[in-house]
Amino acid sequence: MKTLTLVFALSLLGLSMFSSPAVAQDAAGAEGIMKQAHLAYYYAGDDGLADVTMRIIDKKGKERERQFVMLRLDLEEGGNQKYYTYFKKPSDVSRMTFMVHKSDEGNDKRWIYVPAVDLVKPISADDKNSSFVGSNFSYEDVSGRHWTEDNHTLVQESELDGHAVYVIESVPKVEYGGFAKKVSYIDKDRMLPLKEEYFDKKGTMVKIFRAEKIEDVDGILTVTLRSMEDLKKGGKTYVDFSQIDYNVGLTDDLFTERYLKNPPREFVN
Amino acid sequence: MNVKTLFLAGLLLIAAAAPMQAQVRIDGFLQGLYGGRLDNNNPTETEYTASETRMQLRAEHFGENVEFFGRLDFLYDGALEPEYDWELREGYLKFRLGNSFDFKVGRQVLTWGTGDLIFINDVFAKDYRSFFVGRDDQYLKAPQNAMRIEYYNPLANLTVVWSPRYEPNRLPTGRRLSYYNPMIPGIVGTGMNEMFYFEPPLPEAKFKNSEIATRLSRSVAGFNTSLYFYHGFYKNPVGMQMINDSTGMPYYPALNVYGASIRGAVMGGVLWMEGGYLDSRDDPDGDNPLVQNSSVTGMVGFERQIATNLTVNGQWQVDYMLDYDMFDMQQPAGAFVRSEVRHTVTSRVTRLMMDENLTLSGFVFFSPSDEDVYFRFSGSYKYSDELTLAVGGNVFAGEHPNTDFGQFQQNDNLYLKMTYGF
Repeated sequence: MKTLTLVFALSLLGLSMFSSPAVAQDAAGAEGIMKQAHLAYYYAGDDGLADVTMRIIDKKGKERERQFVMLRLDLEEGGNQKYYTYFKKPSDVSRMTFMVHKSDEGNDKRWIYVPAVDLVKPISADDKNSSFVGSNFSYEDVSGRHWTEDNHTLVQESELDGHAVYVIESVPKVEYGGFAKKVSYIDKDRMLPLKEEYFDKKGTMVKIFRAEKIEDVDGILTVTLRSMEDLKKGGKTYVDFSQIDYNVGLTDDLFTERYLKNPPREFVN
Repeated sequence: MNVKTLFLAGLLLIAAAAPMQAQVRIDGFLQGLYGGRLDNNNPTETEYTASETRMQLRAEHFGENVEFFGRLDFLYDGALEPEYDWELREGYLKFRLGNSFDFKVGRQVLTWGTGDLIFINDVFAKDYRSFFVGRDDQYLKAPQNAMRIEYYNPLANLTVVWSPRYEPNRLPTGRRLSYYNPMIPGIVGTGMNEMFYFEPPLPEAKFKNSEIATRLSRSVAGFNTSLYFYHGFYKNPVGMQMINDSTGMPYYPALNVYGASIRGAVMGGVLWMEGGYLDSRDDPDGDNPLVQNSSVTGMVGFERQIATNLTVNGQWQVDYMLDYDMFDMQQPAGAFVRSEVRHTVTSRVTRLMMDENLTLSGFVFFSPSDEDVYFRFSGSYKYSDELTLAVGGNVFAGEHPNTDFGQFQQNDNLYLKMTYGF
């Protein structure tokens, strides 16, 4: 079960692997900015694939590593998506595959395939706020909380590490365990989040997301290194994307049980 | 050095040389497993339920249109007389023909159906010798030599598995784990007498004795639905053949299974239902007291994450024996006789802790009608990406010595396991 959770969690991480070069021209308000950043961050291109390496560093400095290949297909911009993950490391999860059919109505579907027992299993995991793989990302952090679930306020326009940013406060419309308030620093030129601060009910900052590195991949600006730091428990997780490819022509049938059991070797090896 | 040792040495050399060819990927693990019996008054030869060191090597190679995968286990087993052993757990080729056909040919592990440790239409070989002593979950499945053909089309997907040679379940033999012998009647082991070594003969190696398992599945309104058919033999030796007037020999009676299942997401969890008709072909009317009667069986299960890092499931299975009156009449006096309708409920609880590096898990089978209980639990800690430490146990608490789990009541055990993955 631990492995299931790990796989589930890791795969959701991939939800945030792509970003785009959109520029805020008509960001009428805070919600418009957040929407644009969301689309740039989660919906770049029509599809994409990448090798992902995750380093989880605990408060004592001990490090664990995960490696996987991630495929993504957008069915509609800002809407439904499909994800496929193939694990390479560590050894105990190698060759396992994981699939998500993400639906904007909130009833995502997830399956895992465990090759050692030839087992296909749907996963029941709807706690979006739980940490995954013991990493410092929660499901929601990485799967992309839909921008319409929060009320957004533009609190100021400022500068961060030499980049002009919008500083936007987001408060959940319905009380949510993940955070009581989030402050996002959205790069004005690139329309990508550079930093996000998460606060609990008491107003204490509990974790920080950072876009550590942004690169141009086939003309699409992509956050290729990102981190999440836990200020409460300690520990930090880095996620590194490489071999990124957009618009490779992934088709809907790749995201079925057939390919869950028989990984498409033209993309995954 | 005998031939087997030479062969093993050769395999190891190949394995060691393989990484030099860039295309072949090798990984695996080294594992120590030590288990002791809690009840030392038992009829087996050893107080150890496990004392073994295992190395698993996995190798894979992707060709242009075909891929190869091998999984090879080497084992030193010191629970009885020390011995070396090895097994090719998987060794298959996978390839695609056209757009719709996938082939998997060779030694492989096969699974289908919806149950959690309850198998109705999954009539592939299980290894309870491993399951009861704390080996990893992957060892519950015994490999089969088989050809699997999958045909995919928009209407429904068809899978056909042909196993030329019948593969039975691996059941306790009486050496390491004791079991119930109805002829005595009682719980026996080879510590009492070597004649209690339990290894029934297989069906003859004839083409007509090969196994065919098929599944037709498609998605209906978001639910995965399947129909199954199996033609072969019971995986447990639930029949007795008379060798002469006074001596009986357990055997694997002929079996067909017709079944169906459905599974999908419901109420924030996963719900599954599965049923099957087990047609005991050697005893169609249930009038042979030496062969298992036909039965109809069904189950329903639900799993849900009920809190952060806490997942719980439950299952309820009902097993209805056909021609029960005949069966009941034929039972020897004194022994516990199962009811016409047997109920089994199970539950699994899995808790993740310490940044998900510690997994606590428990699974219980309980049959109120058989007054039978089996409880298994484990705690597993991932010290690092490579090293995992685990402790666990198996407790059989049946009221009667001749029920599914009650017969293993003298095999309660605790184990310690260390795994290094590479």
